[in-house]
Amino acid sequence: MEIEVLRHDIVIVGGGGAGLRAAIAVAEADPSVSIGMVSKVYPMRSHTVSAEGGAAAVARDDDDFEMHGYDTVKGSDFLGDQDVIQYFVQEAPKELALLEHWGCPWSRNEDGTVATRAFGGMSTKRTWFATDKVGFHMLHALFQHSMRFDQIVRYDEQFVTKLLVDGNTIRGVAALDIREGVMRLVLGRAVVLATGGGGKAFPFTTNGNIKTGDGMALAYRAGVALKDMEFVQYHPTGLPGTGILITEAARGEGGYLRNADGERFLVERDYGVGTKAELGPRDMISRAIIQEIEAGRAVTQGDWGEHVYLDLTHLGEEKIQSRIPMVRELSKLYVGVDPVHDPIPIRPVVHYMMGGIDTDIEGGTSIDGLYAAGECASVSLNGANRLGSNSLTECLVFGARSGRKALEFARGASEGDESSLRSEGANEAGRVDALRAKTSGTEKISGLRRALNDTMESGCGVYREEASIQASVDTVQEIKRRFEDVEIQDHSKVFNTELISVLELSNMIDISEALTSCAVVRKESRGAHTRRDFPNRDDQNFLHHSLCHFDSTGPKVSTKPVTLGKWEPEERKY
Amino acid sequence: MSDPPKKTFVITRFDPDVDEVPKTQSYEIAVDPDWKVLDAVNYIKDEVDGTLSHRWSCRMAVCGSCGMMVNGEPRLTCKDSVSQYGDTVEITPLSNFPVIRDLVVDMDGFMDKFKKVKPWIIRAKELAAEDGPVRQSPEELEEFKQFSMCINCMLCYSACPVVSNEPEFLGPAAIALGHRYNVDSRDEGASERNAIFRGEGTVFSCSFANECSEVCPKNVDPAAAVNQAKFNAVIDWATGLVLPSGEKE
Amino acid sequence: MARPAHPQAMQPVKPGRTRTAPPTMPPQFPMTGRYRAYTLFDATGFLYLFVGFVALRVVWALGTGSAAWASIQQQLANPLYIGFHVITLAAVCFVAVRFFGLFPKAQPPRIGPAKPPPGPVIVGMLYAAWIGITVLMSAALMGGIS
Repeated sequence: MEIEVLRHDIVIVGGGGAGLRAAIAVAEADPSVSIGMVSKVYPMRSHTVSAEGGAAAVARDDDDFEMHGYDTVKGSDFLGDQDVIQYFVQEAPKELALLEHWGCPWSRNEDGTVATRAFGGMSTKRTWFATDKVGFHMLHALFQHSMRFDQIVRYDEQFVTKLLVDGNTIRGVAALDIREGVMRLVLGRAVVLATGGGGKAFPFTTNGNIKTGDGMALAYRAGVALKDMEFVQYHPTGLPGTGILITEAARGEGGYLRNADGERFLVERDYGVGTKAELGPRDMISRAIIQEIEAGRAVTQGDWGEHVYLDLTHLGEEKIQSRIPMVRELSKLYVGVDPVHDPIPIRPVVHYMMGGIDTDIEGGTSIDGLYAAGECASVSLNGANRLGSNSLTECLVFGARSGRKALEFARGASEGDESSLRSEGANEAGRVDALRAKTSGTEKISGLRRALNDTMESGCGVYREEASIQASVDTVQEIKRRFEDVEIQDHSKVFNTELISVLELSNMIDISEALTSCAVVRKESRGAHTRRDFPNRDDQNFLHHSLCHFDSTGPKVSTKPVTLGKWEPEERKY
Repeated sequence: MSDPPKKTFVITRFDPDVDEVPKTQSYEIAVDPDWKVLDAVNYIKDEVDGTLSHRWSCRMAVCGSCGMMVNGEPRLTCKDSVSQYGDTVEITPLSNFPVIRDLVVDMDGFMDKFKKVKPWIIRAKELAAEDGPVRQSPEELEEFKQFSMCINCMLCYSACPVVSNEPEFLGPAAIALGHRYNVDSRDEGASERNAIFRGEGTVFSCSFANECSEVCPKNVDPAAAVNQAKFNAVIDWATGLVLPSGEKE
Repeated sequence: MARPAHPQAMQPVKPGRTRTAPPTMPPQFPMTGRYRAYTLFDATGFLYLFVGFVALRVVWALGTGSAAWASIQQQLANPLYIGFHVITLAAVCFVAVRFFGLFPKAQPPRIGPAKPPPGPVIVGMLYAAWIGITVLMSAALMGGIS
């Protein structure tokens, strides 16, 4: 049976903030270009939807690009590429203005201008917000705006299993139709990956079920390096049990963090956040909370395990209802606490991956015509630690830039030899069909997932050390071997979600391999990567990006220089 | 410590390659009192029967994926506590939708209606990024904000008796979204959308059952939107009679 | 299992690529849960239809002559007719209460520059109008029938 081939000029994988922005950028630049947008979920289900706090861009007279740039560089613990950061801060206000034109309901000041709020690590108020559902409003505005363009053809619920590369040029993707169970080729002269991060490799995460690092794994297996994978952001305030995010905006609006003794430990003790206190950068605050827990000052009542409190009781009902209503909703619904009256139990939770597909400032990768943007990419804007509210703006700025660069590349590109692509696609279809039909297998998917989660938590948590990281390197390899024996119960073709879970698990294993390999080699503490055995930052030996390449004999780790600029690395104190 | 309580989940199963019609399957499992219904369904899929297919993602009531009928009512299962139910819980796919597999319904009919209402800002003259954000007062924002909260979970379509019987009807969420844009001070396309509201799938098919608003998990109040849209559609039609079309804004 | 809905309900324009099971009605429709009130609300339409017939009959009698008028008044005293009118009165009250409750949210946020009054005020105005007109009409009719 001939494999069906769909052809477009540009193929975009992922329908979230970055993917939609890339599609819109191409469509607006050239209406004659056909765009195929391939996503494993309908775009409004993309995880961009869950972002809460806001998106950063210079907006006020007391702010400028220099300040936003410096805050970001310092927040990144000097691992962010400064040319990328300079470009980003200049483009940010334009992108958020465009979102406003496309209907995003930004919260407003009395005079009708866009309101801004304080956010972690930002020296002034530059976080634009839409109450506390910014990701939801941005995603829906982008998706609804994208519907104007008939040349953006959506392929919803299609799971990309392989990148089709000819020599060193991208030709398209092989995608499994989740509903029908058939494989198709979606060919394009350029491909943009915008598939998000991989937080589901960890047991306790804000991330939704779909965040399994698919695009990162696709690029990795195709030979593109993953960069800075060891830097995993723990957001300080996640609800215990579920891991649901309580936005940084709660602290931006004046919330306090308290331990079991009721003290504001960020103020009473020296955790390096200085006067910023609760609005320090996320890596420092998460470390502070873990230290409080380890020192025995954690709250342990209730079913929630060890945690601390986020106290909003002094803000008053009116402020909470008007500025952070979703915080109240989530707290009542998932931990049964009304923040107007009681403190919310919280603890640090895996939230974001600073690392990802190694790209240049234009989103280009080492494969010609293949671009990446958003959380799945490492440009690198965020270096070793991301400041809150930079990532939504990052999706827009680099989604647009990658889209435009992909268009430029596509104009000059030639069509590949389709017959060899067809046979490659047929082989891939055969592989997936065999996996689906597999009746042997003793390893439960949930068992392997739990094993992966456990080893990632113990080896690559907030605090790391040689022995436990190395153990996780080894365990990931063991899980990779055990994966060969995975058990599939569902052999059906139509909407087989178990098959998708297996493919997602294999992606998570691959990115975990890169993550742990990079973590064990970086013998310093920088940003979110904190090692008990190497507690200080070592600019002498480690002021570089980590790269991890896939190899059949085992992952190959190397380095890449950081693009420095006007800001020299200095001690990171607030 | 006593054993955790057990509940029986009676879940619709349907594989079009094997089943003529949907059937049910029962699963008895120990239930954690903190669970939402989605947690129970996930547990069944992960530990008991890997062949059960359902959609879910964010588990925090914002992505809209996990809508199902629980004991005959459309619910967002990540929001719905399992402890409120008795010993037997029936879970079926959303009513009024064709069913693809198990608890998964065909959403493309909804996507069609969604696009029909032109859910984007319509302006006579497009703005550039350099123009900066347009001003909008907090009062103007309040006028449409509620209607912009829709997560597209489609529970309202499941509850609406008109959707059950009139395939052309645009439906609560689509009309609420179109109305959201009509009321947004930045939009200039109200006349276009009001014509759509009077056309095929007309808003006037709504008989104000109010079920959509009863089941909406985000308090969007689509019934308010649809009925406000009726009023506006009439005013728009009347002004269209009086003013020649060239003078309409 | 649940009753079938319209076979084309929520069908996409492009036919689905796999066979689907047909859409089903919400199980509580029409007479369980909240649907009961809605179904009764719409069903009161039948009562109004009969009220219309009765009213036409009365008007025709009025137009025919005083003998026909006397006859119709006697017929209307029949307990069945009285029972029917009591049920109709109950239905009208039910519909009024339900509709008045829903009416405020059907007001658009603004009509030109004017904002509608707050919800409770609108409901108050509706009840005032309803009761006021009922009292006036009753007084007129009772006064007219000496």
